[in-house]
Amino acid sequence: MDARPAPAYEELLEFLYLTPVGIIKFRPDGQIELANPMAAQLLMPLSEDGDLSDLYVLLAAVAPDLRASVERFLPTAGPICDDRRLVVLCARKILTLTINKINTGTLMAVIRDITRTVEQEVRIFDDQQRFRAIFDNIRDYAIYTVSLDGRVEEWNRTLSRIGGWEPADVTGAPISIFFPPGQAGKPQSSALLEHALQYGSAEFEGWRVRKDGSRFWGDSAATILPDREDKATGFVIITRDLTERKLREDGLVAQATTDPLTGALNRRAGEARLDDLFSRLQRSGQTFAVLMIDCDHFKAVNDRWGHSGGDKVLVSLVEICRDRLRDGDAVIRWGGEEFVLLLPNAHGENAVLVAERLRQSVEVATIEYNGNTIPVTISIGVATADKADVRAEEVVQRADEAMYRAKHAGRNQVAETTVTIFVTVSAPLRSDPHPPLCYSRGS
Amino acid sequence: MSTTFVLPVGFASADLFNWLETAAPHELDDLPFGLVAMAHDGTVEHYNLAEARLSGLTPDRVIGRNFFTAVAPCTNNFMVAYRFESEPELDSVVDYVFTFRLAPMKVRLRLLQHHGARHMYLAVDKRD
Repeated sequence: MDARPAPAYEELLEFLYLTPVGIIKFRPDGQIELANPMAAQLLMPLSEDGDLSDLYVLLAAVAPDLRASVERFLPTAGPICDDRRLVVLCARKILTLTINKINTGTLMAVIRDITRTVEQEVRIFDDQQRFRAIFDNIRDYAIYTVSLDGRVEEWNRTLSRIGGWEPADVTGAPISIFFPPGQAGKPQSSALLEHALQYGSAEFEGWRVRKDGSRFWGDSAATILPDREDKATGFVIITRDLTERKLREDGLVAQATTDPLTGALNRRAGEARLDDLFSRLQRSGQTFAVLMIDCDHFKAVNDRWGHSGGDKVLVSLVEICRDRLRDGDAVIRWGGEEFVLLLPNAHGENAVLVAERLRQSVEVATIEYNGNTIPVTISIGVATADKADVRAEEVVQRADEAMYRAKHAGRNQVAETTVTIFVTVSAPLRSDPHPPLCYSRGS
Repeated sequence: MSTTFVLPVGFASADLFNWLETAAPHELDDLPFGLVAMAHDGTVEHYNLAEARLSGLTPDRVIGRNFFTAVAPCTNNFMVAYRFESEPELDSVVDYVFTFRLAPMKVRLRLLQHHGARHMYLAVDKRD
């Protein structure tokens, strides 16, 4: 039997067998003298018949200029190529080739398989491209990144589309420029970022500000951008313009809360408003007045002019009320030809004056219907809410009672009830706690 | 004096697998082609003398190691290792190139595996 190889030799051999890169020793004419198994494995797909004798022939398809490069290289030693990429389509592999000239007769080559690395690079690049495309082309979403101290870093075109902002206005600017000033001094934007820091993300809906100062209804979602240790490094904020939806919703709210004929608040919404005013009264003492209005002889109007004539009268009444009222006052169709007016912060004489002006306006109004004028008058009962009231309905009831007094006193007039606030049980000042004060026409 | 020694099987014999399963270790060493007997997880259990001569590695160094990852990583691919892994019934000849002692050599590999057998085998023969 032949002599066993010395252990040192075997160890070196094994070292080369296990080396995960291809190593090749070759001559300037391309003849391969030595190659380790990895070199053979990487080159084999390039060989038609398994012949691995000539490096230039093997690499002809992927590096046709290799022989010329070696021949052109005049120094006796030195690097000829360094990590040159070779795309081996048939094996779907990407290799790198490094060649060093050792002396005039010897060259060493290293071949590495970088397919996976490249695939990863491609994936990362693709992801970046995809993200960039999304970032730039999402039309309805303004996306911007924000530093921890709330300044805009990067942003997409939509911000100029929905907000009219240009790069110079925005980059480095505090995001508070997109938000209307907060009510309690603190900008909404700080609250948004604070929430996001605390919970990872936050979403606020509300008015947003365009560059020209106009507003749109938007939704802003802020998410923290964490680093590897999960520490926030900044935020990404996505803002949508929801103005159309907001208007549509407001329209739906209006549908649900108003009387379709007159546009006045419907009874349910009116009661809710009344409850609001009443709890504000209980809380802070801010009073309000209730006017109960009834159209005089409405049945006769319907009989004479038909229901559409009656409808016309009701619509006109609400229009006249609206003309006479302040912002914050509410006109409610309480039922049939009955309306309730809620006048926040009005009371007593003040409310009676409003009622009287209203009565006069209706009396002199020309309500045109089919070329005729329908004469209309109203009777109004006035009541002022008081802290002594236990329930909101009590105020309405007093206004209702006053209205009936006005009716009984001859219609087309205003009657008021006031609460007798300081009644002592032992010595009542008046027998009637709600004495009517009638203001007859012309009186 | 020389004895004419007639081999019971050759590289291409149809009943190579059956012979290998019952052969004694010294009979495997007498084969004129390289032979690696492995457990089904790739652990080398016999590395015959012809294979040792070709590779320059002594059987003691190789036995007990995983052939595909720790002896001949150039076979850890879809042409050799993957076929053993994915084909429980395997008898296939593959043209291949080994770089025994760093010189590329064209070889034929015969991959042998049968369900329930003691070993799976890789036979290695030179080709022109």
